[in-house]
Amino acid sequence: MPPKPTQRLFSLPPRFLCPSIPRTLIRTFRTFAPIVPGKQSRFNYGHNLPLLGASKQAAFLRKENNLPLRTGALTIKKGMTGVYDPETGKRTPCTVLQLDRCQVISHKRRDKHGYWAVQVGSGTKEARNVTRPERGHFAAHEVPLKRHLAEFRVKNEEGLPAVGSVITADLFQEGQFVDVRAVTRGMGFAGGMKRWGWGGQPASHGTSLTHRAMGSAGGSQGSGSRVHPGKHMAGRMGGEMHTVQNLKVMKVDAANGIVVVHGAVPGPKYSIVKVQDALKKPWPEADALAGLSVGGGGAGLAAAAAAEA
Amino acid sequence: MSAHTSSVRPLAHLKHALRQCRLECDQRRRYAVPATDALYPSLQTKYPLPAAGFRPSQAIKQNRFEPGLKRIRVFQPPRSTIKLCPDPIQKVTQDQLAVLDPTGARTRLFAASNPDNVKPGDVLLVRLKNGEPFAGACINIRQRNSPIDTAVLLRNQLTRVGVEMWVKVYSPNVEGIEIVQRKERRARRAKLYYMRKPKHDMGNLDGVVRQYLRQKVGGQMSSRSTKGREANAQKKKKDKKKSDQRGKK
Repeated sequence: MPPKPTQRLFSLPPRFLCPSIPRTLIRTFRTFAPIVPGKQSRFNYGHNLPLLGASKQAAFLRKENNLPLRTGALTIKKGMTGVYDPETGKRTPCTVLQLDRCQVISHKRRDKHGYWAVQVGSGTKEARNVTRPERGHFAAHEVPLKRHLAEFRVKNEEGLPAVGSVITADLFQEGQFVDVRAVTRGMGFAGGMKRWGWGGQPASHGTSLTHRAMGSAGGSQGSGSRVHPGKHMAGRMGGEMHTVQNLKVMKVDAANGIVVVHGAVPGPKYSIVKVQDALKKPWPEADALAGLSVGGGGAGLAAAAAAEA
Repeated sequence: MSAHTSSVRPLAHLKHALRQCRLECDQRRRYAVPATDALYPSLQTKYPLPAAGFRPSQAIKQNRFEPGLKRIRVFQPPRSTIKLCPDPIQKVTQDQLAVLDPTGARTRLFAASNPDNVKPGDVLLVRLKNGEPFAGACINIRQRNSPIDTAVLLRNQLTRVGVEMWVKVYSPNVEGIEIVQRKERRARRAKLYYMRKPKHDMGNLDGVVRQYLRQKVGGQMSSRSTKGREANAQKKKKDKKKSDQRGKK
């Protein structure tokens, strides 16, 4: 079906009467038609109109106050242990995380991508195991190949460290609070009792063969004789991204890339964990360049060589 | 059976032999007709056979050489911290032990390599930083993955009530751990939960501890052989003799 001509097309005089109008302007799709100033809409048109809540810009402004100022780090969960406070003698359960070759890969920009974010990579991969398009992405930013990639949203442009800078464990200070994100352990197809914590049915008193079953899925006529959306049922459990907020950083060892956080972190051992400043605590008082060895790929290498020497 | 029938009826196999002969003739005729390719299109190869020297790994796109394609630069990765420190949990533990147990005495007390280490059944005296010292028979030594969480379960009786206490060996609240009395013979179990039964319960150990403390002030601790059950047994024998004599009287 040919595209429908715009209404303005009919308002024009025949073409032979106005040869100055280029042909491309007449044959346009409705969506790409040039916007004539002052003619967009008969409604919601004016100087002092409020920003529409559903617009992209409004969404960005709403989110702006809930975004961290600094980038985070990609870490690997190594397991749990305990830490004693030598003064109080209190033992605190904690999780040991380790950074490995964590580096800034690229930026997401508000003007180009619609939001501010830092793309961070971790680990390494052999070049023959990486496809050409992926290798091209790393080569374009002059950074080494990475096994894991993740984005950390930041509030504004000031939160974007230079591409290629190596992120070390002293990005975080002892005593500060972090939010930790990771994929939880996959439980497979789980029943309702395990997945949603239902109580189940009685073991006896006439109950027959329905001890762990769902029971009723909803009311009858009063509630529409249907199953409402979001009804808790049996199904796949775990294996999804989960955030744990406000974990205290107990210890930091920059040389070995170790970050020890209070309490448990989702997911099994040796899985990837995203760590960023806690949203619900005051931002840590740190330098803008704390834990970031600034410089491109070459400069990063030089820094690493200097550290080795 | 069959041999018997054939000898009785020599022509019994003739029918069978004829049938086999007919089958063979049929088969020969069938093979004589040449099988044309048109009859079996499924046997035809869809693609030409690979050239000589073809390696199956080349069929994977990534493994192919990239002739005529622009070379993509690959940058060298920075130094790996995982190679530098493959076991960070051990590193964290060692850092802590350097503070909590600088002399390494506590570690040696529970090390498997040490022949004089604490074994289940020994009576231990634990001096605490805040609180009275606690003595009891060690009925369980818990050494989980991380050595920092080593703990012992001590059992004693206070006012005729059995009391058990878990003591974290490396806790800063523990000032010292002393072996009051060794078990005279090695326990054949790692967990001596049977000592909770009245038959095996060691009862109140205050007397043992008091004696140990007195000896500690006086001189060296006596050896393993003269301690424990045998010593008690001798005492019991003496008691028994006394009671027997009393009975005779």
